[in-house]
Amino acid sequence: MTSEILMPAFRASNVHASLGGAEVLRGIDLAIASGRWTSIVGPNGAGKTTLLKALAQLTPWTGRIELLGRDARAMPARERARAVAWLGQNEGGAEDLLARDVVMLGRLPHQPWLGPASAQDRVTVEAAMRTTQCWDWRDRPLGQLSGGERQRVLLARALAVDAPILAMDEPLANLDPPHQADWLQTVRSHVAKGGTAIAVLHEITMALHADDVVVMNAGRVVHHGACTDNASRRAVEEVFAGRIVVREIDGHPVAIPHSGKL
Amino acid sequence: MRRLVSSFIVIVAAMLVLPAHAAPPKRIVSLLPSLTETVCVLGHCDTLVGIDDFSNWPEQVQRLPHVGGLDDAHVERIVALKPDLVLLSNSSRAKARLEALKIPVLAIEPKTFDDAYTAMAMVADVFGEPQVARRLWARMNESIDQAARLVPPSRKGVRVYFEVDAGPYAASESSHIGEILKRLGAVNIIPAKLGSVPKINPEFVVRADPQVIIIAAQDAAEMQSRPGWGRISAIREGRVCALDSAQGDVIARPGPRMAEAARVLAHCLAK
Amino acid sequence: MKPAQPLVLFVALVAFTAILGFAGASVGSEGWEPLFFRAGNTDASILWDIRMPRTIGAWLAGALLGLAGAIAQGLFRNPLADPYLLGSATGASFGVALCLVAIGVSPIAGPDWVGHWALTLAGFVGAVAAVLITLVLAQGVQHTLRLLLSGVVVGMVFGALSALVMFRDPGIMRAMQSFMLGTTGFLGWSSVALLAIVLAVSLLAAIAFSRALDALALGEVTAASLGIAITPVRTVLVIALALATAAAVAQVGLIAFIGLVAPHLVRALAKPTHRWLVPLSALAGGVLLLAADVLARWLLAPREIPVGVLTAVLGGGYLIWLMHRRPR
Repeated sequence: MTSEILMPAFRASNVHASLGGAEVLRGIDLAIASGRWTSIVGPNGAGKTTLLKALAQLTPWTGRIELLGRDARAMPARERARAVAWLGQNEGGAEDLLARDVVMLGRLPHQPWLGPASAQDRVTVEAAMRTTQCWDWRDRPLGQLSGGERQRVLLARALAVDAPILAMDEPLANLDPPHQADWLQTVRSHVAKGGTAIAVLHEITMALHADDVVVMNAGRVVHHGACTDNASRRAVEEVFAGRIVVREIDGHPVAIPHSGKL
Repeated sequence: MRRLVSSFIVIVAAMLVLPAHAAPPKRIVSLLPSLTETVCVLGHCDTLVGIDDFSNWPEQVQRLPHVGGLDDAHVERIVALKPDLVLLSNSSRAKARLEALKIPVLAIEPKTFDDAYTAMAMVADVFGEPQVARRLWARMNESIDQAARLVPPSRKGVRVYFEVDAGPYAASESSHIGEILKRLGAVNIIPAKLGSVPKINPEFVVRADPQVIIIAAQDAAEMQSRPGWGRISAIREGRVCALDSAQGDVIARPGPRMAEAARVLAHCLAK
Repeated sequence: MKPAQPLVLFVALVAFTAILGFAGASVGSEGWEPLFFRAGNTDASILWDIRMPRTIGAWLAGALLGLAGAIAQGLFRNPLADPYLLGSATGASFGVALCLVAIGVSPIAGPDWVGHWALTLAGFVGAVAAVLITLVLAQGVQHTLRLLLSGVVVGMVFGALSALVMFRDPGIMRAMQSFMLGTTGFLGWSSVALLAIVLAVSLLAAIAFSRALDALALGEVTAASLGIAITPVRTVLVIALALATAAAVAQVGLIAFIGLVAPHLVRALAKPTHRWLVPLSALAGGVLLLAADVLARWLLAPREIPVGVLTAVLGGGYLIWLMHRRPR
């Protein structure tokens, strides 16, 4: 366990990726630390989602990626599924499944192919649903829930995987401020227990609450450093061409939209 | 009574579209096999200049140009043959087009046994020879009665099942086939009230236990292996009459060859 | 409305099956006439040789279609998907049309059993061939949209080819119509055995992959993240779908709506995972087709309404009702 804290969660070397013929990642060299929360920010089309997907082995890539020190290509799918929990954008479609059945899907990487759910599975599912506060409507079909309620169920699904690495793409969609605050709390306690969290976020203020930030632009990483670093804050301002300014209020970084030049 | 009414309607409908003829037609296009046969039987085969794809009797018409099927006649080809009369069924889609092009048409759709006489009479009228039709009809009826004599008395009243198509679609008493069978002394297991060619429950046939089954040769093998049909008397005793396509044509058309149809059917019943 | 427990629905559907099974055995060419209480050889034969295989066969064919519908709706993540999406329906029609023409050409061609099995085999081969062509055209099972589009194209092409065959040989039209509107009239015990085997195999395959189907509902990326091997799973499910549909269509012709409505109905009443949805859809499909078949035999006895007409009426009615009751 101690060695994992030193070993990066992901190490990418010269990673390229294309979508529909266009090159989206143009040579990424990156090491994402374990036991910390890293945000990925950048303008639209910078390749943030593609980078996260490539790291999580969910989109084709070339180059070299190491997951917890091992060659990602050599890792069997189930083992990788137990190591990285994924929460994607727009995970719609399961309208007719009950909330608790959706969360139970997170236990798939742990379940034998045809076996029933174990007691451990049920305990984990309940814990995850209580954490995101959706246990009360566990018997309602997903289609009957509001956007925010649904997002909390999907987040619980990712938590139920009980993986050391949480990879999330726009996890705050549809969440109102109190629940955004809850999400912050959930991520922090996951990291406090030794887990790793990586989130693509377009809410810069929330993103800057992380431990580290990766700033992307046009398929490349332009900055990677601690959020408390002034250099990181300047990098964020620059990548958005001065349309935001980062100030500190009560010790927390806040991104404020800015019209016109600095 | 219903037959008289329907024949009447057929005649009236036909007369509405039949223009007055000074002279008998010299170039006829026929779009219905039974009408082709009628024209030839009345002795005017040489007036035919074009026929539909299915007319195949008598042999000499096979050399004539074909102008399409029952539902998709080629109006252009018909017009190119310069007919002075086109014979077709009432439901032919070419009818409206030809009328609009001012081509004389005679629409007849013989469905029942008596309709065949009506058709013969109308065509004969066009040639101004109504008595020929009467004579031919009388002769045909005599031939049918003769055919009925081919069926030995021991076979009279035999229960018969005539399958028209897989489905199964059967010919009932009210179809023209049914009428011929009745004249031959057979009892059709399909009553008239079910319509003229109803789609029936196969169980019904097993129940009715026909002693003779008449069916197209290509369907005969499959028919005998249907579930539960092995018990039917006709199949157990081998009294299945498999019709080849020529025989099928003769029987299917309510026209001047019904006497031959009667002979074929009589042989089936006498087996 | 609180969703029902899957087990309750299961028991209800089994009960309906039993009732309809009794009805199926009791409806014959005279309408309602249970034969159990009458002695006599003909009656026993009618019951066992004709009505029982027909009733059981109708249920099995419906179950296959319901199962195929559940698989199709899960695979394509679309509640309006039906098992004929990959072109199997028109493929079967084309196979049957070709076979009818061939039989017409050489009427006394083969031994007795050829006539009986030739059409069934032709329908089956046609359906499977169409699905294979769809897969080749879509270059595999990875892209759902490509699969759907290929299925539409293949469906249209085979439909056109069937029409062409009918145009060249209109003599087969009535037999084709009988096939296209569906009938259970020719199901014997051997057909029943065949349908039962295919049902058992496809049911097992679908239940085995039921978790994968659930995961796919969340999207391909998420399913992959949970360790599902998308391509092999899809391949097996497409094969199960093709076999189930082909077997049903080959035996009873083209029957519409069962594959669409059965899983829909189950989802409207209960909200099960695929572990339950798959067998429940099969049960519901069996009940629906059997009900339609009994009605088809009963309403105008001894005439028979083509069963596909009744399923279209019932299925269409259900969809209309659905449109009017849901606010969205």
